[in-house]
Amino acid sequence: MGFIPLKPIPEKDRMSMIFIGMGQIDVRDGAFVVIDEVNGERMHIPVGSVACLLLEPGTRISHAAVKLAATVGTLLIWVGDAGVRLYSTGQPGGARSDKLLYQAKLALDDSLRLKVVRKMFELRFGEEPPSRRSVEQLRGLEGARVRKTYQLLARQYGVKWNGRRYNPTEWGASDVPNQCLSAATACLYGITEAAILAAGYAPAMGFLHTGKPLSFVYDIADIVKFETVVPAAFRVAARNPPMPEREVRIACRDAFKQARLLQRLIPMIEDVLSAGDIEPPPPPPEAVPPAIPEPPSIGDAGHRS
Amino acid sequence: MAMLVVVTEAVPPRMRGRLAIWLLEVRAGVYVGDVSKRIREMIWEQVQALAEDGNVVMAWASSHESGFEFQTYGRNRRQPIDYDGLRLVRFLPEEHN
Repeated sequence: MGFIPLKPIPEKDRMSMIFIGMGQIDVRDGAFVVIDEVNGERMHIPVGSVACLLLEPGTRISHAAVKLAATVGTLLIWVGDAGVRLYSTGQPGGARSDKLLYQAKLALDDSLRLKVVRKMFELRFGEEPPSRRSVEQLRGLEGARVRKTYQLLARQYGVKWNGRRYNPTEWGASDVPNQCLSAATACLYGITEAAILAAGYAPAMGFLHTGKPLSFVYDIADIVKFETVVPAAFRVAARNPPMPEREVRIACRDAFKQARLLQRLIPMIEDVLSAGDIEPPPPPPEAVPPAIPEPPSIGDAGHRS
Repeated sequence: MAMLVVVTEAVPPRMRGRLAIWLLEVRAGVYVGDVSKRIREMIWEQVQALAEDGNVVMAWASSHESGFEFQTYGRNRRQPIDYDGLRLVRFLPEEHN
Protein backbone atom coordinates (compact mmCIF):
# COMPACT_ATOMS: atom_id res chain seq x y z
CA MET A 1 0.00 0.00 0.00
CA GLY A 2 1.70 3.16 -1.09
CA PHE A 3 0.20 6.49 -1.93
CA ILE A 4 -2.32 8.25 0.28
CA PRO A 5 -3.07 11.90 -0.38
CA LEU A 6 -2.33 14.65 2.12
CA LYS A 7 -5.17 17.11 2.69
CA PRO A 8 -5.63 20.35 4.64
CA ILE A 9 -7.55 20.23 7.91
CA PRO A 10 -10.02 23.01 8.88
CA GLU A 11 -8.64 26.24 10.36
CA LYS A 12 -10.73 25.77 13.49
CA ASP A 13 -8.82 22.58 14.36
CA ARG A 14 -5.44 24.30 14.23
CA MET A 15 -3.04 26.16 16.48
CA SER A 16 -2.59 29.82 15.67
CA MET A 17 0.97 30.43 14.50
CA ILE A 18 4.63 29.52 14.69
CA PHE A 19 7.48 31.98 14.12
CA ILE A 20 10.67 30.55 12.64
CA GLY A 21 13.71 32.77 13.09
CA MET A 22 16.66 30.79 11.76
CA GLY A 23 17.61 27.61 9.99
CA GLN A 24 17.10 25.70 6.80
CA ILE A 25 13.49 24.62 6.33
CA ASP A 26 13.17 21.37 4.45
CA VAL A 27 11.27 18.10 4.19
CA ARG A 28 12.66 14.88 5.71
CA ASP A 29 10.76 11.60 5.41
CA GLY A 30 7.75 13.65 4.40
CA ALA A 31 7.82 15.85 7.52
CA PHE A 32 8.38 19.61 7.76
CA VAL A 33 11.69 20.24 9.51
CA VAL A 34 13.87 23.18 10.51
CA ILE A 35 17.54 22.29 10.43
CA ASP A 36 20.11 24.27 12.37
CA GLU A 37 23.27 23.46 10.43
CA VAL A 38 25.61 25.00 13.02
CA ASN A 39 24.44 22.76 15.86
CA GLY A 40 23.20 19.91 13.68
CA GLU A 41 19.77 20.05 15.32
CA ARG A 42 16.54 19.15 13.60
CA MET A 43 13.14 20.44 14.74
CA HIS A 44 9.84 19.04 13.50
CA ILE A 45 7.06 21.54 12.84
CA PRO A 46 3.52 20.09 12.82
CA VAL A 47 2.86 22.16 9.72
CA GLY A 48 -0.62 20.77 9.07
CA SER A 49 -1.78 21.69 12.57
CA VAL A 50 -0.99 25.45 12.45
CA ALA A 51 -2.85 28.23 10.68
CA CYS A 52 0.27 30.07 9.55
CA LEU A 53 4.04 30.00 9.71
CA LEU A 54 5.83 33.33 9.97
CA LEU A 55 9.32 33.13 8.52
CA GLU A 56 11.71 35.75 9.86
CA PRO A 57 15.04 36.89 8.40
CA GLY A 58 17.58 34.09 8.85
CA THR A 59 15.46 31.30 7.38
CA ARG A 60 15.82 29.52 4.06
CA ILE A 61 13.07 27.31 2.76
CA SER A 62 13.27 24.57 0.17
CA HIS A 63 10.89 24.01 -2.72
CA ALA A 64 9.74 20.73 -1.16
CA ALA A 65 8.84 22.50 2.09
CA VAL A 66 6.84 25.20 0.29
CA LYS A 67 5.01 22.48 -1.62
CA LEU A 68 4.24 20.61 1.61
CA ALA A 69 2.90 23.76 3.30
CA ALA A 70 0.69 24.43 0.28
CA THR A 71 -0.60 20.86 0.24
CA VAL A 72 -1.67 21.00 3.88
CA GLY A 73 -3.17 24.49 3.40
CA THR A 74 -0.81 26.32 5.77
CA LEU A 75 -0.09 29.96 5.04
CA LEU A 76 3.59 30.89 4.82
CA ILE A 77 4.33 34.53 5.57
CA TRP A 78 7.75 36.06 5.03
CA VAL A 79 8.15 38.84 7.57
CA GLY A 80 10.82 41.25 8.74
CA ASP A 81 12.26 41.49 12.25
CA ALA A 82 9.61 40.86 14.92
CA GLY A 83 7.11 40.09 12.21
CA VAL A 84 6.32 43.72 11.67
CA ARG A 85 7.05 44.13 7.97
CA LEU A 86 5.40 41.73 5.62
CA TYR A 87 7.30 40.83 2.48
CA SER A 88 5.32 38.08 0.86
CA THR A 89 2.86 35.30 1.48
CA GLY A 90 2.76 31.86 0.02
CA GLN A 91 -0.80 30.69 -0.32
CA PRO A 92 -2.57 31.82 -3.46
CA GLY A 93 -6.08 33.01 -2.77
CA GLY A 94 -8.98 33.00 -5.11
CA ALA A 95 -9.66 29.30 -5.10
CA ARG A 96 -13.38 30.02 -5.17
CA SER A 97 -14.67 32.31 -7.89
CA ASP A 98 -18.21 32.30 -6.43
CA LYS A 99 -16.88 33.66 -3.15
CA LEU A 100 -14.72 36.28 -4.87
CA LEU A 101 -17.60 37.50 -7.02
CA TYR A 102 -19.81 37.63 -3.93
CA GLN A 103 -17.23 39.69 -2.06
CA ALA A 104 -16.74 41.97 -5.10
CA LYS A 105 -20.47 42.51 -5.52
CA LEU A 106 -20.77 43.54 -1.85
CA ALA A 107 -17.80 45.88 -2.14
CA LEU A 108 -18.87 47.53 -5.40
CA ASP A 109 -22.44 48.42 -4.45
CA ASP A 110 -22.46 51.41 -2.06
CA SER A 111 -25.61 50.40 -0.17
CA LEU A 112 -24.39 46.80 0.26
CA ARG A 113 -20.97 48.02 1.34
CA LEU A 114 -22.57 50.24 3.98
CA LYS A 115 -24.53 47.25 5.30
CA VAL A 116 -21.31 45.25 5.63
CA VAL A 117 -19.50 48.14 7.33
CA ARG A 118 -22.41 48.61 9.75
CA LYS A 119 -22.22 44.92 10.62
CA MET A 120 -18.48 45.25 11.29
CA PHE A 121 -19.19 48.22 13.56
CA GLU A 122 -21.87 46.27 15.40
CA LEU A 123 -19.69 43.19 15.96
CA ARG A 124 -16.82 45.34 17.07
CA PHE A 125 -18.52 47.65 19.56
CA GLY A 126 -21.35 45.34 20.58
CA GLU A 127 -24.05 47.79 19.54
CA GLU A 128 -25.67 48.96 16.34
CA PRO A 129 -24.15 52.10 14.87
CA PRO A 130 -26.38 55.20 14.73
CA SER A 131 -28.66 55.00 11.70
CA ARG A 132 -28.33 56.98 8.49
CA ARG A 133 -24.58 57.41 8.65
CA SER A 134 -22.30 57.07 5.66
CA VAL A 135 -19.21 54.85 5.63
CA GLU A 136 -17.18 58.05 6.01
CA GLN A 137 -19.09 59.10 9.13
CA LEU A 138 -18.85 55.62 10.62
CA ARG A 139 -15.10 55.75 10.12
CA GLY A 140 -14.98 59.01 12.08
CA LEU A 141 -16.99 57.49 14.92
CA GLU A 142 -14.74 54.45 14.91
CA GLY A 143 -11.54 56.54 15.05
CA ALA A 144 -12.72 58.44 18.09
CA ARG A 145 -13.72 55.25 19.89
CA VAL A 146 -10.44 53.56 19.06
CA ARG A 147 -8.38 56.42 20.51
CA LYS A 148 -10.44 56.29 23.67
CA THR A 149 -10.10 52.51 23.96
CA TYR A 150 -6.32 52.73 23.66
CA GLN A 151 -6.21 55.31 26.46
CA LEU A 152 -8.54 53.29 28.62
CA LEU A 153 -6.61 50.03 28.22
CA ALA A 154 -3.27 51.80 28.72
CA ARG A 155 -4.52 53.22 32.00
CA GLN A 156 -5.94 49.85 33.04
CA TYR A 157 -2.59 48.10 32.53
CA GLY A 158 -0.54 51.00 33.87
CA VAL A 159 1.22 51.85 30.60
CA LYS A 160 2.39 55.33 29.64
CA TRP A 161 0.54 56.09 26.41
CA ASN A 162 1.23 58.86 23.91
CA GLY A 163 -0.90 57.54 21.08
CA ARG A 164 -0.40 54.93 18.39
CA ARG A 165 2.82 55.96 16.68
CA TYR A 166 5.04 53.71 14.64
CA ASN A 167 7.37 53.78 11.70
CA PRO A 168 7.17 50.60 9.61
CA THR A 169 10.69 51.12 8.28
CA GLU A 170 12.29 51.67 11.69
CA TRP A 171 11.25 49.07 14.22
CA GLY A 172 13.36 50.35 17.09
CA ALA A 173 12.26 53.97 16.76
CA SER A 174 8.90 53.68 18.55
CA ASP A 175 8.33 53.31 22.29
CA VAL A 176 7.88 49.90 23.97
CA PRO A 177 4.04 49.92 24.06
CA ASN A 178 3.95 50.73 20.33
CA GLN A 179 6.53 48.04 19.56
CA CYS A 180 4.46 45.52 21.48
CA LEU A 181 1.33 46.59 19.64
CA SER A 182 3.03 46.28 16.25
CA ALA A 183 4.29 42.79 17.06
CA ALA A 184 0.87 41.79 18.39
CA THR A 185 -1.11 43.06 15.41
CA ALA A 186 1.31 41.23 13.09
CA CYS A 187 0.30 37.97 14.80
CA LEU A 188 -3.38 38.79 14.43
CA TYR A 189 -3.00 39.70 10.75
CA GLY A 190 -1.23 36.40 10.09
CA ILE A 191 -4.03 34.19 11.37
CA THR A 192 -6.71 36.49 9.94
CA GLU A 193 -5.21 36.27 6.47
CA ALA A 194 -4.98 32.49 6.78
CA ALA A 195 -8.67 32.40 7.72
CA ILE A 196 -9.74 34.71 4.87
CA LEU A 197 -7.84 32.60 2.32
CA ALA A 198 -9.20 29.37 3.79
CA ALA A 199 -12.73 30.74 3.56
CA GLY A 200 -12.12 31.44 -0.13
CA TYR A 201 -12.07 35.26 -0.07
CA ALA A 202 -9.57 37.89 -1.23
CA PRO A 203 -7.40 39.60 1.43
CA ALA A 204 -7.00 42.77 -0.67
CA MET A 205 -10.69 43.50 -1.21
CA GLY A 206 -11.62 45.55 1.84
CA PHE A 207 -14.74 47.43 2.90
CA LEU A 208 -13.48 50.03 5.39
CA HIS A 209 -9.85 49.72 4.42
CA THR A 210 -8.67 49.98 0.85
CA GLY A 211 -5.56 50.17 -1.27
CA LYS A 212 -3.44 47.59 0.57
CA PRO A 213 -2.81 43.93 -0.16
CA LEU A 214 -4.34 43.14 3.25
CA SER A 215 -7.27 45.62 3.33
CA PHE A 216 -9.89 42.96 4.12
CA VAL A 217 -7.52 41.44 6.69
CA TYR A 218 -7.45 44.81 8.53
CA ASP A 219 -11.25 45.01 8.34
CA ILE A 220 -11.73 41.61 9.94
CA ALA A 221 -8.83 41.87 12.39
CA ASP A 222 -10.12 45.22 13.69
CA ILE A 223 -13.31 43.54 14.89
CA VAL A 224 -11.41 41.45 17.44
CA LYS A 225 -8.26 43.52 17.93
CA PHE A 226 -9.29 45.20 21.17
CA GLU A 227 -10.52 42.05 22.86
CA THR A 228 -7.40 40.02 22.01
CA VAL A 229 -4.05 41.47 20.96
CA VAL A 230 -4.26 45.03 22.35
CA PRO A 231 -4.73 43.93 25.99
CA ALA A 232 -2.04 41.27 25.45
CA ALA A 233 0.39 43.88 24.11
CA PHE A 234 -0.29 46.32 26.96
CA ARG A 235 0.10 43.58 29.54
CA VAL A 236 3.55 42.79 28.15
CA ALA A 237 4.49 46.45 27.76
CA ALA A 238 3.62 47.13 31.40
CA ARG A 239 6.31 44.66 32.51
CA ASN A 240 8.85 46.19 30.09
CA PRO A 241 10.63 42.85 29.41
CA PRO A 242 14.02 42.60 27.68
CA MET A 243 12.59 40.70 24.68
CA PRO A 244 9.13 42.17 24.12
CA GLU A 245 8.39 40.43 20.76
CA ARG A 246 8.83 36.97 22.19
CA GLU A 247 6.64 37.75 25.18
CA VAL A 248 4.04 39.36 22.94
CA ARG A 249 3.76 36.26 20.76
CA ILE A 250 3.21 34.03 23.77
CA ALA A 251 0.61 36.46 25.13
CA CYS A 252 -1.11 36.61 21.74
CA ARG A 253 -1.24 32.84 21.42
CA ASP A 254 -2.88 32.69 24.86
CA ALA A 255 -5.33 35.44 23.91
CA PHE A 256 -6.28 33.66 20.67
CA LYS A 257 -6.80 30.42 22.55
CA GLN A 258 -8.90 32.11 25.21
CA ALA A 259 -11.05 33.96 22.68
CA ARG A 260 -11.34 30.76 20.57
CA LEU A 261 -10.35 32.95 17.65
CA LEU A 262 -9.46 30.24 15.13
CA GLN A 263 -12.93 28.74 15.60
CA ARG A 264 -14.61 32.14 15.32
CA LEU A 265 -12.82 33.81 12.41
CA ILE A 266 -14.38 32.04 9.43
CA PRO A 267 -17.96 32.15 10.82
CA MET A 268 -17.34 35.84 11.59
CA ILE A 269 -16.23 36.55 8.02
CA GLU A 270 -19.35 34.84 6.69
CA ASP A 271 -21.49 36.72 9.22
CA VAL A 272 -20.09 40.10 8.18
CA LEU A 273 -20.59 39.43 4.48
CA SER A 274 -24.07 38.00 4.94
CA ALA A 275 -25.14 41.41 6.32
CA GLY A 276 -25.40 42.46 2.66
CA ASP A 277 -28.32 40.04 2.44
CA ILE A 278 -27.51 38.74 -1.02
CA GLU A 279 -26.77 35.24 -2.26
CA PRO A 280 -23.41 34.32 -3.79
CA PRO A 281 -23.95 34.68 -7.54
CA PRO A 282 -24.69 31.39 -9.35
CA PRO A 283 -22.50 30.55 -12.34
CA PRO A 284 -23.86 31.85 -15.65
CA PRO A 285 -25.83 29.18 -17.53
CA GLU A 286 -23.39 29.06 -20.43
CA ALA A 287 -20.36 28.55 -18.16
CA VAL A 288 -18.43 25.31 -18.55
CA PRO A 289 -18.43 23.18 -15.37
CA PRO A 290 -15.15 21.54 -14.34
CA ALA A 291 -14.13 18.56 -16.47
CA ILE A 292 -12.70 16.89 -13.38
CA PRO A 293 -14.72 17.87 -10.28
CA GLU A 294 -12.84 18.55 -7.06
CA PRO A 295 -12.87 15.57 -4.68
CA PRO A 296 -14.57 16.22 -1.32
CA SER A 297 -12.18 17.62 1.30
CA ILE A 298 -12.26 17.88 5.08
CA GLY A 299 -10.54 21.28 4.85
CA ASP A 300 -12.17 24.70 4.40
CA ALA A 301 -13.81 25.99 1.22
CA GLY A 302 -10.78 27.98 0.08
CA HIS A 303 -8.24 25.20 0.56
CA ARG A 304 -7.00 24.13 -2.84
CA SER A 305 -5.77 20.60 -2.38
CA MET B 1 -10.96 18.25 20.30
CA ALA B 2 -9.36 15.55 22.40
CA MET B 3 -5.87 14.47 23.35
CA LEU B 4 -4.44 11.88 20.99
CA VAL B 5 -1.45 9.54 21.35
CA VAL B 6 -0.06 7.36 18.58
CA VAL B 7 2.69 4.80 19.18
CA THR B 8 4.34 3.19 16.19
CA GLU B 9 6.69 0.23 15.93
CA ALA B 10 8.66 -0.89 12.87
CA VAL B 11 6.78 1.40 10.48
CA PRO B 12 8.44 2.92 7.38
CA PRO B 13 10.10 6.36 7.78
CA ARG B 14 7.63 8.04 5.43
CA MET B 15 4.79 7.11 7.73
CA ARG B 16 6.65 8.59 10.70
CA GLY B 17 7.20 11.75 8.68
CA ARG B 18 3.55 11.83 7.70
CA LEU B 19 2.41 11.68 11.34
CA ALA B 20 4.75 14.57 12.16
CA ILE B 21 2.68 16.77 9.82
CA TRP B 22 -0.02 17.04 12.50
CA LEU B 23 1.42 15.54 15.70
CA LEU B 24 4.51 16.03 17.81
CA GLU B 25 7.01 13.17 18.03
CA VAL B 26 7.94 13.30 21.72
CA ARG B 27 9.95 10.04 21.71
CA ALA B 28 10.97 7.76 18.86
CA GLY B 29 7.71 6.58 17.32
CA VAL B 30 5.51 8.23 19.98
CA TYR B 31 3.25 11.04 18.74
CA VAL B 32 1.05 13.40 20.72
CA GLY B 33 -1.57 15.95 19.68
CA ASP B 34 -4.96 17.50 20.34
CA VAL B 35 -7.33 16.86 17.45
CA SER B 36 -11.01 16.59 16.57
CA LYS B 37 -12.73 13.29 15.80
CA ARG B 38 -12.62 14.00 12.10
CA ILE B 39 -8.89 14.62 12.10
CA ARG B 40 -8.29 11.55 14.25
CA GLU B 41 -10.12 9.41 11.71
CA MET B 42 -8.14 10.99 8.89
CA ILE B 43 -4.89 10.21 10.75
CA TRP B 44 -6.03 6.61 11.27
CA GLU B 45 -6.63 6.26 7.53
CA GLN B 46 -3.06 7.39 6.98
CA VAL B 47 -1.85 4.82 9.54
CA GLN B 48 -3.72 1.99 7.85
CA ALA B 49 -2.43 2.97 4.43
CA LEU B 50 1.19 3.56 5.34
CA ALA B 51 2.07 1.26 8.27
CA GLU B 52 2.86 -1.78 6.08
CA ASP B 53 4.33 -4.56 8.26
CA GLY B 54 4.74 -2.34 11.32
CA ASN B 55 2.24 -2.05 14.15
CA VAL B 56 0.51 0.97 15.61
CA VAL B 57 -1.70 1.81 18.56
CA MET B 58 -3.73 4.99 18.78
CA ALA B 59 -5.31 6.18 22.05
CA TRP B 60 -7.48 9.24 22.62
CA ALA B 61 -9.34 10.91 25.45
CA SER B 62 -13.09 10.23 25.48
CA SER B 63 -16.05 10.20 27.82
CA HIS B 64 -15.83 6.41 28.30
CA GLU B 65 -15.68 4.96 31.77
CA SER B 66 -11.93 4.62 31.46
CA GLY B 67 -11.65 8.16 30.08
CA PHE B 68 -10.04 7.01 26.85
CA GLU B 69 -10.39 4.64 23.92
CA PHE B 70 -7.79 2.97 21.75
CA GLN B 71 -7.42 0.96 18.57
CA THR B 72 -4.58 -1.01 17.06
CA TYR B 73 -3.15 -1.86 13.70
CA GLY B 74 -0.87 -4.83 12.91
CA ARG B 75 0.47 -7.60 15.12
CA ASN B 76 1.88 -7.01 18.58
CA ARG B 77 2.43 -9.13 21.69
CA ARG B 78 0.09 -6.81 23.52
CA GLN B 79 -3.44 -7.54 22.42
CA PRO B 80 -6.59 -5.69 23.35
CA ILE B 81 -9.32 -7.83 24.91
CA ASP B 82 -12.88 -7.07 25.91
CA TYR B 83 -13.20 -7.75 29.63
CA ASP B 84 -16.84 -7.35 30.76
CA GLY B 85 -17.20 -4.38 28.46
CA LEU B 86 -13.93 -2.88 29.58
CA ARG B 87 -11.07 -2.94 27.10
CA LEU B 88 -7.91 -4.31 28.66
CA VAL B 89 -4.64 -5.56 27.22
CA ARG B 90 -3.42 -9.15 27.20
CA PHE B 91 0.31 -9.83 26.91
CA LEU B 92 1.09 -12.89 24.79
CA PRO B 93 4.14 -15.09 25.54
CA GLU B 94 7.20 -14.63 23.37
CA GLU B 95 7.20 -16.64 20.16
CA HIS B 96 10.08 -19.11 19.77
CA ASN B 97 11.00 -20.03 16.25
